[in-house]
Amino acid sequence: MLKSLFTFITASLLLVGTAGAAETVKLALIDPLTGPMAGAGQPALEHLKFEAKRINANGGIAGKQLEIVGLDNKVNPQESLVQLQKAIDSGIQYVTQGNGSSVASALIGAVGKHNQRNPGKEVLYLNYAAVDPSFTNERCSFWHFRFDANADMKMNALTTYIAENKDIKKVYLINQDYSFGHAVSKAAREMLKEKRPDIEIVGNDFHPLAKVKDFTPYVSKIQSSGADAVISGNWGQDITLLVKAAAEFGLDAPFYTYYGASSGVVTQLGDKGVDRIYQINEYYGDFEDPEMAKRQVEMYKETGWDFYYLRLSTMLDMFKKAADKAGSTDPVKVAKAMEGLTLETTNGEVVMRAEDHQIQLPMFMSVMKDDMKYGAEGTDYNFHKVARIEREDVTLPTTCRMRRPK
Amino acid sequence: MSQDMSVPMQPSKSRTSLRGLVPWVVFAAVLLLLPVVFQGNSTAFTLLNVIGINIVFALSYNMLLGQGGMLSFGHAVFFGLGSYAAMHAMIAIDDASYAGEGFWAHVPVVGMPVIGMIAGGLVALVLGWPFCRRAGTAFAMITLGLGEMVAAAGQMFPSLFGGEAGIYGNRMVGPQWFGLELAQSDDVYWFMAFWTFVAVFAMWAFTRTPLGRMSNAVRDNPDRLQFIGYPPRNIRFMIFIASGSFGGLAGGMAAVNYEIITPEALGLIPSGLALLMAAVGGLGVFYGPIMGAIVVTLMNSMLSDYTDASILYVGLVFLSIVMFAPRGLGGGIEQVRVAWREGDLARRLPGWLSGALAVGLIIVGMVVLVEMLFQATHGDDEFAQVLGMEFDAAALWGWLTAAVLVVLGAVIKRATNKLREDQA
Repeated sequence: MLKSLFTFITASLLLVGTAGAAETVKLALIDPLTGPMAGAGQPALEHLKFEAKRINANGGIAGKQLEIVGLDNKVNPQESLVQLQKAIDSGIQYVTQGNGSSVASALIGAVGKHNQRNPGKEVLYLNYAAVDPSFTNERCSFWHFRFDANADMKMNALTTYIAENKDIKKVYLINQDYSFGHAVSKAAREMLKEKRPDIEIVGNDFHPLAKVKDFTPYVSKIQSSGADAVISGNWGQDITLLVKAAAEFGLDAPFYTYYGASSGVVTQLGDKGVDRIYQINEYYGDFEDPEMAKRQVEMYKETGWDFYYLRLSTMLDMFKKAADKAGSTDPVKVAKAMEGLTLETTNGEVVMRAEDHQIQLPMFMSVMKDDMKYGAEGTDYNFHKVARIEREDVTLPTTCRMRRPK
Repeated sequence: MSQDMSVPMQPSKSRTSLRGLVPWVVFAAVLLLLPVVFQGNSTAFTLLNVIGINIVFALSYNMLLGQGGMLSFGHAVFFGLGSYAAMHAMIAIDDASYAGEGFWAHVPVVGMPVIGMIAGGLVALVLGWPFCRRAGTAFAMITLGLGEMVAAAGQMFPSLFGGEAGIYGNRMVGPQWFGLELAQSDDVYWFMAFWTFVAVFAMWAFTRTPLGRMSNAVRDNPDRLQFIGYPPRNIRFMIFIASGSFGGLAGGMAAVNYEIITPEALGLIPSGLALLMAAVGGLGVFYGPIMGAIVVTLMNSMLSDYTDASILYVGLVFLSIVMFAPRGLGGGIEQVRVAWREGDLARRLPGWLSGALAVGLIIVGMVVLVEMLFQATHGDDEFAQVLGMEFDAAALWGWLTAAVLVVLGAVIKRATNKLREDQA
């Protein structure tokens, strides 16, 4: 035991001592890679590695080869800071993370302080999925870039879609009982009131986070309220079990969700999700663009994961474009080049807004269907596009007052 | 469980002699030497700082379980609330030092663990009384409920707990003491070393007080204690408060180290971590949880770089310690030390060494097996790499090697069982 511990410690110290080779630029993914939440981090890691190959074949990042390093944080903010320090010590200047606004909050604070205390050794934090709106509003930071629409933007797009759907008269809100769930509920009520004052909110439920095994009582409440539509910010098992209970109960109201297509949901729901579960996201499962279809097929074959995180591809492409423009991989120069940068994607033009480092992009409402050309998770189910919400209808003003380095 | 794991504390034969000082001098020397060894390596300092926090956390937990016989599943409540109190104080210092006046403008960040300690103690004082009537299962269930309740409340009151994003502060504010700027992790190290030393010493001193002795008595035989006129509930309550205070102290150290605290820190996972560290290190030996904290922290932060199955290994280590070495790492060392003192070591060593060899072989075999299984089911490499060697999951010889290692270990263990039994 002691001997293996000793070799283990020496090995870890040796690892720490080696810095990156000159001609690579490393991007560290700090996300859950083991344990119960690994299903959220692993696909992102595989996606990044898959797309890094394409970037490297096209000349890399400002001429340097991009290397993806996975660091396991177990979705714990404190552990994430240890992993961040490990990344910084091995010479990594770019980190990315997405799962959990608690972790994102810790990383924004730590990266900001590190850059303030270590001028010349700056680190950039590229956020691909932590959606707390405060990160690009009152807490905005020059060192943070968000490549996902924030929670309020998603709700803006979602309510725009609902507002145009005149059949919907009664809406039910069901969310997890913690800060994110409450924020979703509040945004939904405010935005619906503004866009469609005639819509009645017939229910506003909060259930314990990740503890409910049987949603039937909630579903029966939704049924008896006569709701035409349900809005939910649930993720993980809370969305799967909720929709499953609705299907078994025979509730036909559609579920408008943030995370209805995240990994595992399609497999677990199967037929029960068809025409019942909708998702607002920056992409969908039709893959009309042959280039995207090719990536989906190849990535599933190579890694066993779907090409789900279009925003990770957007992130790497923008990283490359900014670094090429700056002619350097120095984080300060890349960050300055990234501000206001536009990129032509398969969905049209997206732009990284300079004022708050929040990406501006079109969003899509999609619904789960059977017999899709490109099925998700090896099934025939995937999410079919029902509406496109333009960039102008997604965007929201910001309260950010960015402090930039000289 | 606690009674199987525990060994009665060895009474010190020379309370006043200098010999009792030796471990403390060594401890202080190690703390002073570590920065020289790891100079310029911030990751090492970051890990050392986390280890320092975990040492205090695990030791404070062991005051309850190892010394008082109270199995708690809610110890992170004190850690987390102490951390929240310290963080709110740090924010107050930040605000006050802008204004340049007020009480908080004169409080140094170095003193935050004291704030955490007071908060942890107060929480235990307020909540503890109804819990301490019974030890055992009832106590375990109540603390489990307490932990869940506080963790849920943490998510529900964003003004106090900051919601999912938590609350965050800056440690580089207020008056500086001892020239500690607290900018980098190697600077923070001195802060950690100081408080770790103070807390460890204070907790050791606690075991020497009459109350500390009584806590062992309440663990071993509460009925007799009641009979001779000490109500066990009062004693448990006092241990609970002391343990909560030191848990809060660890939380105050964490607030300065991480500069952020989120409601997750109050939950079941960090409470389980305390139990894990204490049990791996050994509940019956004072320094056991220190070793447990070091091993578990390193496994948590480093092991996942080498294998995707890291959590499985943490679980296996816990399982095998509970099953095969219920006295933990510290208990093992203590056994060797006692044998050496009694001149028994030479006679016992063959049995122990052969046992260690057998366990080592079984472990390597199991690791090869687990890694190959992992690669065969959903790995991205073709080979499982163990100790610099590559094992091909598709070929038979890899599986054979693993099986041979495990069988060999088991055979050696069986063959040498007699060596250990005779002298036990």
